Amino acid sequence: MEITIPKTSAVMTALLRADFTTLWRNRRSVVMVLLVPVIITYSWKGLVASAGGAFVLSNAITLGLVAVGLMGYTNSIARDREKGVFQRLRVSPVPSWAIMASRLIVQLTMILLLTLVVFIAGYKLDNISMSATGYVLTFLAAIIGGAVYLSLGQAIVGRISNPETVSSTTRLVYFSFIIVGMFGELGVLGEKFKHAVDWTPYGTVKNILATSLEPATWNNHTSEALLVTVGYTLVFATLGIKWFKWNTK
Amino acid sequence: MNATEQTNILQVDNLNVYYGTFQAVKDVSFNVMRGEIFGLLGPNGAGKTSSLSAVEGLLKQQSGTITVAGYDTLQKPLYARAAMGVQLQATSFQPELNVAEILRLYAGIYGVELGKEKLQSILKDINLAEAETKKFRELSGGQQQRVSLVIATIHDPKLVLLDEPTSGLDPQSRRQLWTRIEAIREKGYGVLLTTHSMEEAEAVCDRISIIDHGRIIATGTPQSLIDKHRDDPEVIAVSRRGRVTLEDVFIALTGEAVRG
Repeated sequence: MEITIPKTSAVMTALLRADFTTLWRNRRSVVMVLLVPVIITYSWKGLVASAGGAFVLSNAITLGLVAVGLMGYTNSIARDREKGVFQRLRVSPVPSWAIMASRLIVQLTMILLLTLVVFIAGYKLDNISMSATGYVLTFLAAIIGGAVYLSLGQAIVGRISNPETVSSTTRLVYFSFIIVGMFGELGVLGEKFKHAVDWTPYGTVKNILATSLEPATWNNHTSEALLVTVGYTLVFATLGIKWFKWNTK
Repeated sequence: MNATEQTNILQVDNLNVYYGTFQAVKDVSFNVMRGEIFGLLGPNGAGKTSSLSAVEGLLKQQSGTITVAGYDTLQKPLYARAAMGVQLQATSFQPELNVAEILRLYAGIYGVELGKEKLQSILKDINLAEAETKKFRELSGGQQQRVSLVIATIHDPKLVLLDEPTSGLDPQSRRQLWTRIEAIREKGYGVLLTTHSMEEAEAVCDRISIIDHGRIIATGTPQSLIDKHRDDPEVIAVSRRGRVTLEDVFIALTGEAVRG
């Protein structure tokens, strides 16, 4: 009996169309994810002169990346797993990697959109402008930084099966990042804390974003931050893949 | 390829499935032929869904072989899955998508061209011409089952797997679904369905296997099983209204105790 399996390109096209439609239908939550970094960009206008535009923009993008990875991606995976959406897809001739790849491509698009929105907000609201190279490199850094939070989200959704518990955990982690990351970064919690925050996922991502915006300031500390960022991604992704189950039963 | 391989759409041999140390399926063997509706019957927790999940590729068997349209499900999983259409017990699709978008998604996944005309013809065929832009959750139970069934057969599969397809449906919807399942058989597909309903098994199945505690304890046509066990004292003891039914045979073979 001759059976043909559909082309991977056709499968990916169908999955991406469905996943982007889902994203579009959830545009209200997309706006919420984008709104927080825009508000930060605007409310930190006063810091532009003292700390620099790169400082403001990199913090805003970092917080947006945390929201995309933890609130958007993780919760949608937890919900669809609970509802059996993945099980239905897995009984069709779709490789498991294609299901996840489609979801991740949608999130990467969100990351690029977020970065663009922050650039526009920074320019329009705070008169921040960077070099063309700085903008291009920051898009790249946002993808590398976003991968940390996507993989952290994968680890959370891998470890916890109940969607409500996943949601409350991601909120807790999100607010921890805001409090510890942002205030620690500003030195509000002391110098030792500020130094420690530098090496958290928040600090390393913020560092590579800030330096990408001003490529001339790249130094050894940034290279180390980049390596640590990639290390975080590898550790979280390994745990996330190891722990992840396609169903909750 | 010999004649048996050509007529057997699904061949399950000595299947063993475990959940940790608990063995849910024990040495189960059965086959489904082209143009046949085969029923897998059993009480709750008997091993029906576990057997079906192994065929679907959702569970990996510890031993035994499953062949769909000549393709081993472990060695050629994508080919085996391309040869089958599946309706899961609790089917769920992305809640943000409407019926047309869900149909387009699965048509795309199976490599089926689905233009506007074909889409409308499919929806008209299942009496859902007006439901194109409705969300799946907005449909009634019977309408949801019709959409699930059409998705399961959108790529003309050799084998259709239906896990308790009429569960929770009213009598009208159930009858309509039986007609649709019989139409699938008429097209020459093999159908494997699990059910709790003896009425359903008698009405649509050509052959059935009764599974209990993970083992198949009887196989045959519904009538042959009734004839074989008609005079068993256990069957006579549980039969009502002086007429032996498939349900009487089922209760006698699997016991009267209520299962979780």
